[in-house]
Amino acid sequence: MNCEKVRELIPLYLYGELAFDEEERLEEHLSACPACASERARCEKLTALLAQGEAVLSAELLSRCRRDLATALEKERRGRGLAARWRALWSKWLSAPPAWFRPVGAVALVALGFFGARLLPEDLAWPGRSAQAQPVVGRVRLIDTAPGGIVRVQYEEVRPRELRGSFEDERIRRLLLAAAMDPTDPGLRVESIDLLKDRTADAEVRRALIDALRSDDNPAVRLKAIEALRPYAHEPETRKALAQVLLADTHAGVRIAAVELLANVKEPDVAGAFQQLLHREEDQYIRQRTLKALDEMKASYGTF
Amino acid sequence: MTKQGATLAIEGGASLGARIDASMDEAAIIRAAQSGDAEAFERLVRSYDQQVLRLAMNLLRNPDDARDVYQETFLRVYRNLSSFRFDCSFSTWLYRIAANLCLDQLRKRRVRRTESSVVETEEGSVDRLETVPEARPQGDPQRAALNRELRTSIEAALNSLTPRERLVFELRHFQGMRLREIGEALGSSEEAAKNCLFRATQKMRQALGEFL
Ligand SMILES: [Zn+2]
Repeated sequence: MNCEKVRELIPLYLYGELAFDEEERLEEHLSACPACASERARCEKLTALLAQGEAVLSAELLSRCRRDLATALEKERRGRGLAARWRALWSKWLSAPPAWFRPVGAVALVALGFFGARLLPEDLAWPGRSAQAQPVVGRVRLIDTAPGGIVRVQYEEVRPRELRGSFEDERIRRLLLAAAMDPTDPGLRVESIDLLKDRTADAEVRRALIDALRSDDNPAVRLKAIEALRPYAHEPETRKALAQVLLADTHAGVRIAAVELLANVKEPDVAGAFQQLLHREEDQYIRQRTLKALDEMKASYGTF
Repeated sequence: MTKQGATLAIEGGASLGARIDASMDEAAIIRAAQSGDAEAFERLVRSYDQQVLRLAMNLLRNPDDARDVYQETFLRVYRNLSSFRFDCSFSTWLYRIAANLCLDQLRKRRVRRTESSVVETEEGSVDRLETVPEARPQGDPQRAALNRELRTSIEAALNSLTPRERLVFELRHFQGMRLREIGEALGSSEEAAKNCLFRATQKMRQALGEFL
């Protein structure tokens, strides 16, 4: 190994990243060559100096990071994370067919899954609880071994529950809202929304319907939500959601329903959305319907 | 001085090894976090977050950017944890996420820098607006000045590295990772990581020659 090669390899040598025989030959050279040995000393000094280049981590920054992360995670859990977990858990734990959800006159009969219980506000008791069915072992969460051949298994236990009550019952209302978002079963979502459509005077119900309209991946559910929101098309929040759907929904049927509903709302922002739509809409029927609606609004293009 | 530097690198390597030995427990924690146990996830965050923050802070030298990388790293871990299949160590997986985010930032910054306050010096490009980290409390003003000069030079030398060289150097020198692990974390070979480290150390050696 010559001096030039040795000098190149010294930094890697100091990191202990040379192959065994490479290291051997290098050390052999160092013990015989004072010039290279002093280069080695300089490189070691460099390593020491670089410690000064390390940024100082303040405890304040760390705690700020942790705090912000906790907030972000909370949001994540409430939003998409929750939906994904539901999808996994409901499908595992709830094997009830969609038919369990049937209105009986003005009284809804609701079977409850694990999450049904969680969704209820804590202060609400469970007078309508039926006799407990045998618990079902759900998902295994943790398996651990301890000395002495002991195995620790942590699992979820699921009990099906049933609740009867009228629409006025807060618990029934909450369960309906939850079912309207149950990611596993679009049929269940359609039926829940159908039941909820007579309750749209309730702002929370309307919000749930708007959510469904905006983000449900099943067009039948979105159509049902539009139908339920019909009496509120003139309301700013509903109007805004309808306009968004109009411009972004991939399903032509949903866009048609949105146009029909918005055609009667004579507001500048709706006319603006219609005009935007004309730039991108390819469906001929929707285009004609939009032009007609704009005409009815006596809106000349570009006025709004 | 010399001794100090050598132990620094060794300590980094040892602590990483110790963590891997403790992976029996860690696997159980990861599984619990995968099944939605928030407390387990919190424990995972707590066992790695200082290293992630240090990595980001060392590379980006800016608390706000470091915070962004920190947050995005753990959000991605959270979102993708269910797809973690234990086919590499968790720390490698985590470093892969954090390192790529830092790399993106460094690349973005390069673009920004060429259009802003760059000064070309013999050591490479230096950003005048970039703040030099606060000096640790020093009694002797002369020494403080020297330290300040040294720190500025180190900063300039580090800035002269390409983002990839910078990252590999950081992971090896300050995070104490082995080149094999670095290659794995960056999705490249050990040899490629070695070449990067080689180029980086050459540049550092050259840039800081006057202090040796
Ligand atoms: Zn020599």
